[in-house]
Amino acid sequence: MNQGSADPEPESKEPLRYLSKLEAAAIETELLTDYRFGRQQLVETWGHACAVAVAKAFPLSSLSKKQPTVLVVCGPEQNGAIGLVCARHLHIFDFTVQCEKMDIPFLSYLPTEVQLINDAYNLVIDAILGPETDLSPEKEPYGSILLTLKQVKIPMASVDIPSGWDVEEASADGIRPEVLISLTAPKKCTVAFTGRHFLAGRFLPYDIQKKYELNLPQYFGTDCLTQL
Amino acid sequence: MLGLRALVGIGVLVTSQGARALSKKTSCPLLGGSITPHLECPRRLLSMAQPIKYLGQEEAQRIDEELFTEYQFSVDQLMELAGLSCATAIVRTYPLDSLVKRKPSVLVVCGPGNNGGDGLVCARHLKLFGYEPSIIYPKRPNKPLFQNLVVQCEKMDIPFLSEMPSEAEVIDEAYNLVVDAIFGFSFQGAVREPFSSILATLRKITVPIASVDIPSGWDVEKGSPDGLQPDLLISLTAPKKAATHFRGRYHFLGGRFVPAALEKKYQLNLPPYPGTDCVLQLT
Repeated sequence: MNQGSADPEPESKEPLRYLSKLEAAAIETELLTDYRFGRQQLVETWGHACAVAVAKAFPLSSLSKKQPTVLVVCGPEQNGAIGLVCARHLHIFDFTVQCEKMDIPFLSYLPTEVQLINDAYNLVIDAILGPETDLSPEKEPYGSILLTLKQVKIPMASVDIPSGWDVEEASADGIRPEVLISLTAPKKCTVAFTGRHFLAGRFLPYDIQKKYELNLPQYFGTDCLTQL
Repeated sequence: MLGLRALVGIGVLVTSQGARALSKKTSCPLLGGSITPHLECPRRLLSMAQPIKYLGQEEAQRIDEELFTEYQFSVDQLMELAGLSCATAIVRTYPLDSLVKRKPSVLVVCGPGNNGGDGLVCARHLKLFGYEPSIIYPKRPNKPLFQNLVVQCEKMDIPFLSEMPSEAEVIDEAYNLVVDAIFGFSFQGAVREPFSSILATLRKITVPIASVDIPSGWDVEKGSPDGLQPDLLISLTAPKKAATHFRGRYHFLGGRFVPAALEKKYQLNLPPYPGTDCVLQLT
């Protein structure tokens, strides 16, 4: 159990809070200004936790292809940065990752052949668009990338929210990942998510949890993520 | 079904950078020449063949330098991972239910440099893991990195003591263990106040000491026979030569961020970390 004797947060019987876009942005701003976390610090923490979640959901021994290959698709903003950190840690965890730096190959474009993706990789990490992005489904190249991903048959894990989804409302015809790794707290659009749902963001100070009434579930031992 | 090799050959899947990297991954010095992609990544086999390397001071400094310049890591990125490793190792060694005092209290003593920064991060994670750290941070660098770490701790209700208790008995009475995050691998020369008094007090306490990277006050390569004798040592990145003189019960490796190329360049021969753990118990 991770609760110390003077832990201010009592056993939470209240339901878990799902955040709106504004709330998610407000919490992040508070972490950066009032709590003086560095952006790089947060991105590192989130990316690391995502990698741990991926390794938990898709253990090396469970992968069907001969090489433990993972495709990480990174978008232009913070979600993409988190994807890059996740990729780095996945590489340390002995996955064969497609991304940049540390001798990991970077795809300069996404193969539009869905069959190629299905054949070459065991799973796809979607780190394209996060709640901070202003949604514009026609924005290239992400529009066609999302279209490709929708048809992919291998498992997909999304970082924070499935890319292309509205932050507050589940998307009827968007991508459908098997695994979702919510960061800090889950967003409104994930209320009815039926796949495997992890929560990462154990660094969150208790004061913020209380202020926004997040009612976060317990993390066990030293785990940086928990399953919802 | 198209295999990876076939896709590389087609030239569709990866950029030329990618092809180079792929071939790097599939050639193995142990097995000689290029091998088919069907074999397991040889890194684990390689590290088991040679003993782990103990770094000299200059080597440790060069590796650090390379991580920040060539590999473009930021100090706070690595410090966060290092501090997390320290906290995790402490939890493994002294789990909450093993602590004898009424409260899970821990004293974290932070020095004037990066080792102190590691200590601040460690304290924050210990708090999240259910411990009650108190911090002593007498000499604070005037840099945003450290100032921010202090605010993060304060906002987590982690108290900063105004001064170190001078009586070893007071520390023994109040705390279950002490985290020594005073001096790291850059330490050289004489110890200035207030740290020489602090170290003198720590040498007299009976509760366990967990040292971050190097037992403070020790020569980074030769150790120190009458210096601090920690119970737990958490070596970061790779152990330093001083660790060969470590006589405590527990030695962990932490700071799981070393890129494979860097590990190979310095022949660190790091043993594999278990699963996704950020620490590895060496003894």
